[in-house]
Amino acid sequence: MASPAEIAAFLGGVRLFHQVGEADLSALAERLRERTLKKGQVLFRQGDGGEEMFVVSRGSIVVSKLVTGNVEQVLARVEPGDFFGEMSLFDRSPRSATLQAETDSTLLVLDRDNLGRLIQDNPRAAAAFFHALVLILIERLRASGEMVAEVTRWGLEATGLDVEAR
Amino acid sequence: MTEQVAPRRAKLQLLVRHDDDQSFEIREVESAVAFVQSRPQRVAPEMFELAEVASRVAGQRNYILKNTETERFLLLSEQERYLWDLMDGDTSLQEMATAYVLKYGEFDFDIIPNLIRKVQRAQLLTLTPSSSLRRALARNRRWAIVKALESALTVLERINVSSRKVEPLFVRLYRWGGFLLFTEATAVLSVLLAVVGIVAGVELLRHADSVAAGLGARPIAALLSIKGLFFATVAAHQIVHGLALVHYKRRVREFGFTFLHGFVPTFYIDVTDIFMASRRARVVTAVSGAAVHLVLGSIWFIIAGSAELGFTQAFAAASGLIQWQAFVLALYPFCFIEMDGYHVLVDALGMPTLKHDAIAFVGRLLRGGSPGRVTREKALWVAYVGLSAVSIAAFIVFNVWLIIHATA
Repeated sequence: MASPAEIAAFLGGVRLFHQVGEADLSALAERLRERTLKKGQVLFRQGDGGEEMFVVSRGSIVVSKLVTGNVEQVLARVEPGDFFGEMSLFDRSPRSATLQAETDSTLLVLDRDNLGRLIQDNPRAAAAFFHALVLILIERLRASGEMVAEVTRWGLEATGLDVEAR
Repeated sequence: MTEQVAPRRAKLQLLVRHDDDQSFEIREVESAVAFVQSRPQRVAPEMFELAEVASRVAGQRNYILKNTETERFLLLSEQERYLWDLMDGDTSLQEMATAYVLKYGEFDFDIIPNLIRKVQRAQLLTLTPSSSLRRALARNRRWAIVKALESALTVLERINVSSRKVEPLFVRLYRWGGFLLFTEATAVLSVLLAVVGIVAGVELLRHADSVAAGLGARPIAALLSIKGLFFATVAAHQIVHGLALVHYKRRVREFGFTFLHGFVPTFYIDVTDIFMASRRARVVTAVSGAAVHLVLGSIWFIIAGSAELGFTQAFAAASGLIQWQAFVLALYPFCFIEMDGYHVLVDALGMPTLKHDAIAFVGRLLRGGSPGRVTREKALWVAYVGLSAVSIAAFIVFNVWLIIHATA
């Protein structure tokens, strides 16, 4: 179990919290919950409810979306310093993908209450947090577009479909 | 001069969840692999009609293919008709390409994709991207043993250590002495070694029981180590194939290790480019790899012949026997396995899909179908299946006899 000081030091290196000051990070670190996952353990499944986002501090988490039967498409791997689960934190919608530990992992859990407290106590730090979040979400949106193109290309190449001639 | 870079292949990462719901595996599937392993399946016979079109040009034949449901017509060339006949759901695109080259002695890289597009547009085709074995296993997944076998095959199939950048390495190996393998002196030396090896082998056979007794108290362990040593020589076999390609100025496209059909560990080399060379080149390439086993087997027999009774002699004799078995197996075409000898045979007969057609024909006969008019082709199909079945039975009996003698 990491101490609040260790968590604060770790958060300082996380892109999402780059612009958040040390004092605010220390305050936030005290409120974050640590959660460990064994290799193979499912954190949540596509369709589950949830209002928390997670920052990976150790290990690797696979993000996947059901394709058919017991086969899922790997959307991403989340490594230390990356975060996930933010969509449900903001819009309370069901989880959009399944998250499962690829190796033994440790996560830091940020829930709605703690985010609210950050906004209330230090609006400047919260603004910096949201700015970083938006930039990262834009990157992810671009990556999703690339993935759609790649999957389409895969399908065309694998089936030999000639769409140009259609 | 700028070098053309091949386009990157699209890849998909798939997470396949096991039944315990906790464990999973990640498989990476390349689009190109999925394409060449797909097995086009034409629609049911009642959904199409095929008719030959009379042509005024001598030697040129065309066919009209009609989708009886959509009333759509396609004009097929003779080559396309040949490929259409292969689209039976069992033959992969890779196998179709090989069959095409063997039949016509040339290959147009666009003909298969173009034909697929044409017949897909006419709704005359589906693609099935898996092997018959895997489909059969998937159908019977309710049985625990089948499921376990399927999982094991999946794990083994994923093991593939290969490189597509081996051409320079093989060129260097050829320059550093590999070219010597393709000289008349080497051929003569190999024949001499084989003759001396046969003499030594026959002599050892006369004392087979006492030689086999030399394997000592743990004959099974000894035989397994001999098999292990033999496995290393399979790599040499494939490397010589690669050197033959360089000798005939063709390209070595890939070299690697994999589990054939998911359960046969083997080294492999992509010799597709040799189909662009002469028939002599194809035969030399096929035979030279197998000759590795003939030479090594002879050397082992000579060592065994000159050794004292004991473990060394028994080990060398068993190794020689296995190498010679491999030589015969590689060149013997009648065993339902498409090895070097089979490729030489189909090349000589001009029947690139011999095994496939023969099994299908004999299968129909066994299910009570009529053989129809006897033709040379049908006689060859029956001969192929008959000889292969007898050969496999004899091979199994011989090995059982060998093990019983070694362990008695």
